[in-house]
Amino acid sequence: MSLSDSKIKLGIAGIICGVVAVILAVTGNPGNMAICVACFIRDTAGALGMHQAAIVQYVRPEIIGIVLGAFLISVITKEYRSTAGSSPMIRFLLGMMIMIGSLLFLGCPLRMVIRMSAGDLNAYIALIGFIGGIITGSIALKKGFSLGRAHETNKTSGVILPFLLVGLLLLVLIGSPLLHSSQTGPGSMHAPIWIALIGGLVFGVFAQKSRMCFAGSIRDIYLMKNFDLFTVIAGVFFIMLIYNVVTGNFSFSFTGNPVAHSQHIWNILGMYIVGFAATLAGGCPLRQLVLAGQGSSDAAITVAGLFVGAAICHNLKLVSSSAAPATKGVTAVMGGPSIEGKVAAIVCVVVLFAIAFVGNKRKSN
Amino acid sequence: MRKKELKLVVTFHTTADAMAMEKVCKKYQVSGRLIPVPRSISAGCGLSWCTELAELNHMKDVMEEVGIEEEEMHECMV
Repeated sequence: MSLSDSKIKLGIAGIICGVVAVILAVTGNPGNMAICVACFIRDTAGALGMHQAAIVQYVRPEIIGIVLGAFLISVITKEYRSTAGSSPMIRFLLGMMIMIGSLLFLGCPLRMVIRMSAGDLNAYIALIGFIGGIITGSIALKKGFSLGRAHETNKTSGVILPFLLVGLLLLVLIGSPLLHSSQTGPGSMHAPIWIALIGGLVFGVFAQKSRMCFAGSIRDIYLMKNFDLFTVIAGVFFIMLIYNVVTGNFSFSFTGNPVAHSQHIWNILGMYIVGFAATLAGGCPLRQLVLAGQGSSDAAITVAGLFVGAAICHNLKLVSSSAAPATKGVTAVMGGPSIEGKVAAIVCVVVLFAIAFVGNKRKSN
Repeated sequence: MRKKELKLVVTFHTTADAMAMEKVCKKYQVSGRLIPVPRSISAGCGLSWCTELAELNHMKDVMEEVGIEEEEMHECMV
């Protein structure tokens, strides 16, 4: 049975992924971060000691599950193809910038949708930037931007990332003391390992079958007026919306949202960077994990860029801080990006325009 | 809902090739439109050119003239 030959089936795939997100939130993951790819890669980078932010260090089995789920289903359905060679270092850079933009806003596109489903108005503001970034990237595509074609390569190249993640999973399962693990903060909030792993696997399988992509969905609407990928996202949003309404977590507000800030310009700019970079790289962070799982070494390099970007964001203080209300003896925190984060965001925008509109053109015929 | 019909679907190595295809097809009056690569063809998420089966020879001539190389050509229900 094909999961993708009608919008109804695509919507069902999105609903299943939404249910996975709800289960993860109910069983321990931070509520409005149920399955955030950027946050979870950042946490995993912290667990590996790539940064020292003590409250966001934990190997997230969801990330391992998404890649392995995509890998297994693509092998089973004979869609696994080991490919490489499409401007890997530019993709690495794009991965870093996607993470810088995500941590400026505090979430990847998946978390943006999850935050929107809880009524977080900051996420709706960020959506403006995300759409703007995708449109800018799409204009670059129209003007001939290309990272070049990928080629079939040695079959083992495509399995390196899945195998590395299996190794990481083994370290988790034996309770290796090599891995850091947060005692407080978002990193300490997590679903049980097996639920997180199975949830990630299911998410990876359905994301691979449905080609779920947050950047791709808006790109396809803009370039072709095609709503197929958007249907999948709508399914996730719909289920998370029901969950938030039923549990009383839904409230239209700029304030009181966990791990969020209300500096609108920087929320817009953060997601503008994510949308722009993801369109040039051919997919959002989730899609990069799935593509890496089905054999793309180029996507695996982008994922490596996401990991390094996460480490740099924390080590160089580029990450935004969350807003927090005043409590007894503690003054309120407005939250938002640091000066370093603001400078990094502007540098990212300049670099993205250079990559998109200077060079990297399709060879004219 | 629109009824699916048998069409000719051309996939490309890069998105830029697909965008270039749209331009030249307009210029050389090859009918058709850009669509997402049908899932039955590929697990990738690129763009493809969808046209009538009868356009095959005209389209091939145009592609050869302007130097656009296809990845694959498929006849499928779109």
